[in-house]
Amino acid sequence: MSTTTTRRIEYLPRSRRRTLVAVALAGYPVALAVLAALKHTGLNRWLILAVFLLLLLTTVAALGVGYRYARGRIDGRRARLDERDLALRQQAYALSHRVLAAILIAVTAITEIYLTNGNTLRLDANTFWPAAMWVIVYIPALPSLMLAWIEETGQPADA
Amino acid sequence: MPDHQRKVHNRLAVLRAERGLSRKQLADKLGINYQTIGYIERGDYNPSLELALAIAELFRLPVEAIFSLTPMTLLSEEIFSEPPAEPR
Repeated sequence: MSTTTTRRIEYLPRSRRRTLVAVALAGYPVALAVLAALKHTGLNRWLILAVFLLLLLTTVAALGVGYRYARGRIDGRRARLDERDLALRQQAYALSHRVLAAILIAVTAITEIYLTNGNTLRLDANTFWPAAMWVIVYIPALPSLMLAWIEETGQPADA
Repeated sequence: MPDHQRKVHNRLAVLRAERGLSRKQLADKLGINYQTIGYIERGDYNPSLELALAIAELFRLPVEAIFSLTPMTLLSEEIFSEPPAEPR
């Protein structure tokens, strides 16, 4: 990634970062929901695939920006993490835990309501893989996204 | 800055400008990231006691001349304001 792009990401205003985090978090479930909805329509299969891929690519791009923003700080690989970086990392992990707990509680509650209404839940490749992909992609990315969410807008070094 | 924290006011930007230091230069002297200087100046981050003392040591000033829990008065006012006239 070029230095200019890296600098641009580093100085992204918080409002824009928060939009990207929201896109990254909602993108994948939305893409799956859109795919499931469009499958039942008479739309051309290639068009459905194009829409799905567009949503997926947007999500991946937003995830990439979030990851790049926090890289080196969330994983502690940056040579020098000062006291603010460490405090921010701690806050990001704490917020990730709260967000993850809220998602798990919501998913459990929705599943419980769905099952108590006489429905059955079939676990096959069509339902397992999207859930597995969500876990694989989002759980490691969540602390980076939360750091991008909480940090205030930065200021230039040479001012 | 977390909501439960009191804002700490400071004169860091003025002192840095007086000495012609950029954020990066000051941060390098203190061994911290330059972004942290910006956050402290804006009052978005309250430095630890250790960092506040290191800043005071660097500027050779008492810590209370740089940081305060109440809004800072203008340095020019503090220096040049005339003392109250003594009664004759």
